[in-house]
Amino acid sequence: MDASPSKPGVSKFGGQFWNKLQTLAGPLALLGPSGLWLVLFLVLPTLLILDISLVPGLRPGTVPGAYGFGNYSQVFNPFDPAFDPVYIQVIWRSIYYAAGTTCACLVLGFPVAYWLALMAPRRWRNLLVVAFVLPLWTSSLLRAYAWTSILRPTGLLNSLILWINGMVPGLEIPTQDWLYTRTAVLIGLTYSFLPYMVLILYASLEKLDRSLLEASADLGANPRQTFLKVTVPQSLPGIAAGCLLVFITSMGDFVVPTLLGGASSMTISRLIYNQFLGITRNWGLGSSLSMVLILAVSVAIALLLKYGDRSSVTET
Amino acid sequence: MRGNSVPRQRSLYSNQFRRLGPTRRRFLQGAAAALAGVTLANCQRNISDVQSGNGAGATDSAGAGSGTLHIYTWADYINDALAAEFTERTGINVVIDIYDSNETMLAKMQAGGGDAYSIIYPSDYMVQQMLELEMLTALDLSRLTGLENFLDQWQDPAYDPGNAHSLPFSWGTTGLLYNRDVVSGTPTDWDFLWDNQDSLARRMTLLDDVRETMGAVLKSLGYSYNSTDPDEIEEAYERLLELRPALASFMSFGYEDALLGGDLAIVMAFSVDAIAATLEDDRLEYIVPESGSSVWTDTMVIPTTAPNVDAAYAWMNYMLEPEIATKAVESLYFATPNAVSFDMLSDELKSNEDLFPSEEVLARCEGIAPVGDATDLYDEYWTRITSA
Repeated sequence: MDASPSKPGVSKFGGQFWNKLQTLAGPLALLGPSGLWLVLFLVLPTLLILDISLVPGLRPGTVPGAYGFGNYSQVFNPFDPAFDPVYIQVIWRSIYYAAGTTCACLVLGFPVAYWLALMAPRRWRNLLVVAFVLPLWTSSLLRAYAWTSILRPTGLLNSLILWINGMVPGLEIPTQDWLYTRTAVLIGLTYSFLPYMVLILYASLEKLDRSLLEASADLGANPRQTFLKVTVPQSLPGIAAGCLLVFITSMGDFVVPTLLGGASSMTISRLIYNQFLGITRNWGLGSSLSMVLILAVSVAIALLLKYGDRSSVTET
Repeated sequence: MRGNSVPRQRSLYSNQFRRLGPTRRRFLQGAAAALAGVTLANCQRNISDVQSGNGAGATDSAGAGSGTLHIYTWADYINDALAAEFTERTGINVVIDIYDSNETMLAKMQAGGGDAYSIIYPSDYMVQQMLELEMLTALDLSRLTGLENFLDQWQDPAYDPGNAHSLPFSWGTTGLLYNRDVVSGTPTDWDFLWDNQDSLARRMTLLDDVRETMGAVLKSLGYSYNSTDPDEIEEAYERLLELRPALASFMSFGYEDALLGGDLAIVMAFSVDAIAATLEDDRLEYIVPESGSSVWTDTMVIPTTAPNVDAAYAWMNYMLEPEIATKAVESLYFATPNAVSFDMLSDELKSNEDLFPSEEVLARCEGIAPVGDATDLYDEYWTRITSA
């Protein structure tokens, strides 16, 4: 009695399974290469980093010790004797730079993207977009280095300020000594990532449902109301995507803080670099810091996917 | 104005109706394109490494005796003329990769990224460290000619007795390089930095090098460059912390332009870089501080992973030739441990006190030596100094 009903059940299930597999064969074959790529070059390396991060104080050329959470508690646990508040300080500084850069990029990028998408002459539009992306064709290292000669005390910026002061009698703009300060890092990062923000916002604003803008105007909304209640909500997914991309990439940026940051601008990416290629060479600690960075970025992406979906659902 | 804007808006709004659906996909496309840009841009700097690695592997498997020689060295230790003459004589192509600190080089070698290199140029203390890690090939001294030309102090150096694994290539000091027009007074010692930290605020730099910079501060306190005493190291850390707000940055290279322009006033520098700068511009001056500094030797070694060992020996013999060593000194400004080649130098260079300091100055200097377990302490304080 037991066996007879269960057997057809199994074969039925088996048949379903094969059917399913057949319908999935096409998508699987298409996804295979990229899936393999993802596993080989993203999942496995991340697991390797996780593995190394669980060996306290692992250094190349030494015998690895037992597994443990020593690397993490050194960073986060104030009761650990090896705890050093400097790591949390560095993490906060990185977040500060990334958040500042994101805000600056949004404030500067939105008007540009708006103008490009809605107001610029149509035939010039593509050319203007290309012009905006053009700087990305140069090495980021070179562009960061160029900023050092703009921001240094005798650099281009101060020459310009002095020239303006000379041209306009009575005007006294103070000269700036920004190189090797936070300001320099924020300027450099904003410059580096602004094109990405503009591109994404442009893509979003270009597809704006213009009939809604028209309707809004017809129904008596003034331009400001239309902008705040129609344009901005429609471009929210774009704003979120742009902010996220800029936040993640500027948090991981290594070149700008190194070149423009000076003596007190250590960021998490530089600290990780130091643990592998720099002076300290503590692979265990470096891996645990990498995991912290990976985790933070993953959480940010998860949040975006969730909120991105919801907003698009509520709007359609 | 109003009349103008209305028709414009009309034409804008009367564009064909589009659904919202594709928008998100467009963002993702944009994001993907942008990400690809980031990734590619970040890759660029690594491509040369990858290529050099593959190149060596290819020549290796081809089994060619000459082929290509991959060298991993400091910036400004080889120039095109020297490499070209070597290729002309031996038919071996030279590929050069550059590092900016011993630790970077060690990290790359340990991570397996340096398998292509047949010649490396570690400093004295790094030779010791690499010997402990069994990363260096014992040299077959019978294959080398001209070893007798080394000055006495490099015949049997403490870091590698009998030059069994390394050949001294260059030596020099660490000191202060400053712009006379910007700095008031004459710096003679490390203390100058602390004494003038207000007037020269954010116009001085120290080397981005834990042992050199911590060593200099230790020396300024009257301790050894290689102190292993935790109290002394902590005292040095405290003193360095005091100076940190006045520092523009920690940098080991790339300060020349800023120094000439007056944006930097005084920098800690290796003599090899400093001398090149002083010879270029009269305003720049180099000193070895009175309380003492480090004297370093950079060497040529063959790592155990080296392919094409024959080419490595050929390169060593080439650099041992007094004429070649002299040419290198004349164009690259490091002091040579080769007595014959020293005699061949112009009087101007021979009498250059920066290049060849007097015995009296050298007596105050120390070679950097491994500090054993204190390494962790140095690292800890250095992380705090550079990260806080």
